[in-house]
Amino acid sequence: MSFTPHHTPFELDPAQLRELALDFASNPIYLDNKEWENEDNPYHRQLRPQIIKYLDFSKPLPAGEILDYSALAANRLLATIYEADLMFLPKKGMTDSTWAGFKNFYSSTNRARGEMIRPYLEKHVFGFLDDIEVSGDWTKESLAAYLGRIQGQATEPSASEKAIRESSDPKRAARNWLIQFAPDFLSEASPMIRNVMGYYGPVQSEWFKIVIDEYGYGVHGTKHSTLFENTLASVGLSADLHRYWQYYLTSSLMMSNYFHYLGKNHELFFRYLGALYYTETTLVDFCRRAADLLTDVFGDDADVKYFTEHVHIDVHHGRMALEKLIMPIVDQCGESVIPEIVRGFEEFQAIAQIADDDFAEQVRWMDAGPRNKVLHAPVWAKIESGEVEAPVAHIVEPRGELSNTHQHDGDELCHIVSGTMRFVSGYDSHQILEAGEGTVIWRNRLHGAIIDSEECVYEIHSVGDYRACLS
Amino acid sequence: MLVVNFAVEGAHNCVEVDGVPYVYARTAKGSFVMPALCPHRGGPLNLAEVDATGGRAVCPWHERATSITRLRRKGIPAVRRGNTVTAVLPVPADSEVTTTHRPMSPAFCGGRAA
Ligand code: FES
Ligand SMILES: [Fe+2]
Repeated sequence: MSFTPHHTPFELDPAQLRELALDFASNPIYLDNKEWENEDNPYHRQLRPQIIKYLDFSKPLPAGEILDYSALAANRLLATIYEADLMFLPKKGMTDSTWAGFKNFYSSTNRARGEMIRPYLEKHVFGFLDDIEVSGDWTKESLAAYLGRIQGQATEPSASEKAIRESSDPKRAARNWLIQFAPDFLSEASPMIRNVMGYYGPVQSEWFKIVIDEYGYGVHGTKHSTLFENTLASVGLSADLHRYWQYYLTSSLMMSNYFHYLGKNHELFFRYLGALYYTETTLVDFCRRAADLLTDVFGDDADVKYFTEHVHIDVHHGRMALEKLIMPIVDQCGESVIPEIVRGFEEFQAIAQIADDDFAEQVRWMDAGPRNKVLHAPVWAKIESGEVEAPVAHIVEPRGELSNTHQHDGDELCHIVSGTMRFVSGYDSHQILEAGEGTVIWRNRLHGAIIDSEECVYEIHSVGDYRACLS
Repeated sequence: MLVVNFAVEGAHNCVEVDGVPYVYARTAKGSFVMPALCPHRGGPLNLAEVDATGGRAVCPWHERATSITRLRRKGIPAVRRGNTVTAVLPVPADSEVTTTHRPMSPAFCGGRAA
């Protein structure tokens, strides 16, 4: 009897990957929604399988394409795959639809198919972080100096906060902002808990204490997710899980996926520590400003306890992350783990920056709705006269047809030939477009549409850069 | 220890602390922060060439060679993200810091394949 071991890496070629991704996303719970919001059904997430055959997840996206449609699609897939590890139940009891969703979402088919494509999706959306290079001889002392620098450092208001304050509709902007936090905050600490499982020494117990804080010491009313639900409710939003799935930006999903990515892949354990330190330390200032911002925008109606609680507790968490997790783990494992900790610290900064800029731009995009509608006329004139030639899609849709939210990799012009379209550029943000009208659509900006007439005939011209059409 | 930020390329690609200039070198075998002054007689290490093996940086003045692996692994602790370097220098935290520009030899403007 002879046995020749044959252990090979798991690999998919691009065609297999596309087929498996399509298969995963074709699950009935992931098809397009007829409504804008998912109502009390935590298993429904719109993954737009009809587009997957045009996408290539097989290579890392370069930094400049990290907000392209392919990234949105991959982040939606990843969030769905990671969350199959988490427990969700509808709030109002099981209906036929939620029972079916429950069984589908937690089925072995869904999980197995998701796991096969996950490594590629992760490389697709997080591969650009490989650009970060750590070098030199890191010691505990240099690590302490490097990490210590952000402690107590006052941070500037972020681009997103400024965009909300400067918005023509700060309430709308602030609601959209809170919506972006929902994927992270409603199941807060779940990615972290992935690191509390196992058997690895005293740090495991220290980490567990952070989890206990996040979970409100077992008192449901003080669990951080409960505090966030109260914030949502106080400004007229609902806390159904992923009710606002269609309004999540690419980078918001990326932020919450990032911690699942680190927590799910335990070879990235040390990066998690660096990323955790950055987030816990900067959150103190951020939460203080967030509480003020929401109070300024909504008045005292806004329940900001979620944020004020974090101002109190994260002072401790930043310190705990450094003194009780990071330094002891370096003592235990040796200084060779430091470059990974440093890398995680830098990675999360990079992602947080992308998310901040992405949301600020989305606020400008929502605010620019009326102006983009006006800009249709000059761009359309260039197309009509033949001065601008761009690929065009002719589309006919019936009343109620809902184009689930998405974004394009270049600017487009939407032109209505007949009928009426409600063009949606965010939560509570839309323009009505009638025959002869239309809108400029910015590159990488989330949008969707619904037909408000018996039928609507329209054209999408892929102009690439609409400003170039106007010069 | 002193934590400093400076640019990989461009007008502010050199940080000077207590009279010692530091730059960021990118080679095919990895990148690292190094003092731009040769320990032999103060030659401009920012203008060093890399030898034929690609493994050693060679000072333009008297050809003193230093292993790139050593510079990378045993050198100044640093991290680069985009065009920004953060380095932890072995000097007191209150040392005086200025940023300037130093030209870099082509061998140090490479960088690993992404
Ligand atoms: S100064 Fe560098 S080798 Fe002499
Ligand atoms: Fe579109």
